[in-house]
Amino acid sequence: MKALVLEDLARNFGGLPAVDGIRLEAPAGRITGLIGPNGAGKTTVVNMITGLLKVTRGRIKFGDDDVTEADATQLARIGIARTFQNIRLISDATVLENVVAGFHRHETTGTFANLFGLPSAQRERRALEDKAMILLEQFGMTGLARHPAGGLSYGHQRRIEMMRALAMDPALLLLDEPVAGMNDSEAHSLADIFRNVARRGVAILLIEHNMRFVMSLCDHIYVLASGRLIAEGTPDAVGRDPRVIEAYLGA
Amino acid sequence: MMSFFHSYTPLFELALFNTLLAFSQYVVLRAGVFSLGTAAFAAIGAYVAAIVVTTYGLPFWIGIVLAIAIGAMVGALVAIPLARLRGVFQALATLALVQIVLSITLNWVDVTNGALGINSIPKTVGLVGLLIAVAIVTYFMAAIGSSSIGRAFDVIREDETVAVSLGISVVKHHFIAFVLSGAIAGLAGALHSYNSYSITPNEYGFNMLVIVLAMVVLGGRVSIWGPIVGAVILTVLPELLRGFQEYRTVVQGALLMASIIYLPRGVADTLIGAYRRRRIAEETSRMRETVTA
Repeated sequence: MKALVLEDLARNFGGLPAVDGIRLEAPAGRITGLIGPNGAGKTTVVNMITGLLKVTRGRIKFGDDDVTEADATQLARIGIARTFQNIRLISDATVLENVVAGFHRHETTGTFANLFGLPSAQRERRALEDKAMILLEQFGMTGLARHPAGGLSYGHQRRIEMMRALAMDPALLLLDEPVAGMNDSEAHSLADIFRNVARRGVAILLIEHNMRFVMSLCDHIYVLASGRLIAEGTPDAVGRDPRVIEAYLGA
Repeated sequence: MMSFFHSYTPLFELALFNTLLAFSQYVVLRAGVFSLGTAAFAAIGAYVAAIVVTTYGLPFWIGIVLAIAIGAMVGALVAIPLARLRGVFQALATLALVQIVLSITLNWVDVTNGALGINSIPKTVGLVGLLIAVAIVTYFMAAIGSSSIGRAFDVIREDETVAVSLGISVVKHHFIAFVLSGAIAGLAGALHSYNSYSITPNEYGFNMLVIVLAMVVLGGRVSIWGPIVGAVILTVLPELLRGFQEYRTVVQGALLMASIIYLPRGVADTLIGAYRRRRIAEETSRMRETVTA
């Protein structure tokens, strides 16, 4: 059970602050929301947490560890998973292959066994495929296991990304606009899955545009505008905050 | 029948040698490394094998083992400084490696006999030997391709950002790809030495680099059939085009261009993709029938 803590986190692009000193906490077992209008710096925050962007100032803590300087591979290995705002799948590979890729950090077969095609490597592949099929069943996609991922609908591709992230069995899950472009019933079925994941003790940071979705799902919400935190609190408190209304609807 | 087979033996042998080179190129491309180093690794393998037999009088199998080991070692040595490079920069750096090896084989006359090359290498490897080597390498490629390493290669090639976000180490897998590429090309070079009586530096120059790259691009970069199909086509094609005489290379170039425009994923990967799509379409229609019935 690990919590994510951001302290005074900042990032400049060519001298311009994209994220300017934000403080945020995403406790284990909870769904924490991070919302804000376009260009507020939400994805920049995610990219800093996952090590894809270097931090200009501030600290990132995960559990008891300071992971500010860790690189993306190390962060994934310690259990930080994410989905991407613009879907990123291997489009020629099948749905099953895409999900199996998510198990990488749990693979135990040595390089030698993999190089020589030893039985242990083949057993591991079959075991991972079985585990991936269980995920596919949860997401109602068993029938599409052998389809190339690139040919499927947008909603399906979003689900594949989600399954790949869950295959990592993460301690922290970063969801970057997971229901963008989905209708309400599709979004609702995903919301149930997110609640179940959180119940298992995973810290979830949900980055969203869809206010209604965030309000219904999150325990605590942070509101970002122009790289600064302008409000935080329970969904109700944030929804009534005049600064939030102004940022979203304009003055 | 036997005489027909006999007269084509050199062509078969060339096709098998080219298949090995194509595998060396394929393994790096599959991992998303744009290396052109295959010609250099093959030259190293060929010279190591030839020198072991002609200068030191050792048995040929020692030459083969040493060629593979030194090929792999050079692959590893190259991988370390090139770890930060990508795409066209990788291509340029490995092209430089080919030039370095070429100039060493040309100018280190005491050891390599310079531009004359090494001659009267006893022929110890024939069609069967090459077939066994291709079979073994094909097995390894299939095993690696369906293992954790192959899965990591595929993710890295398609999207490095996704790869690192899943905890896949790009440096480690690029290193493995370079070592494999070096080992396979080292083996290919050694077998060529023992099959063709003599080797010269210019065999392993720009020409080989281009044709090997063309084989994998034409054949396909994902399935292990790609390099095999590409090597066979580009070995047989010049023979089929004999009738065109001096226009042969022009026709060959035009065919290559056309195939890259119309089959950008390569012959093998395109065919496999089409076959899979058809099978899925049949399955879905069968499922619909059972639902309506």
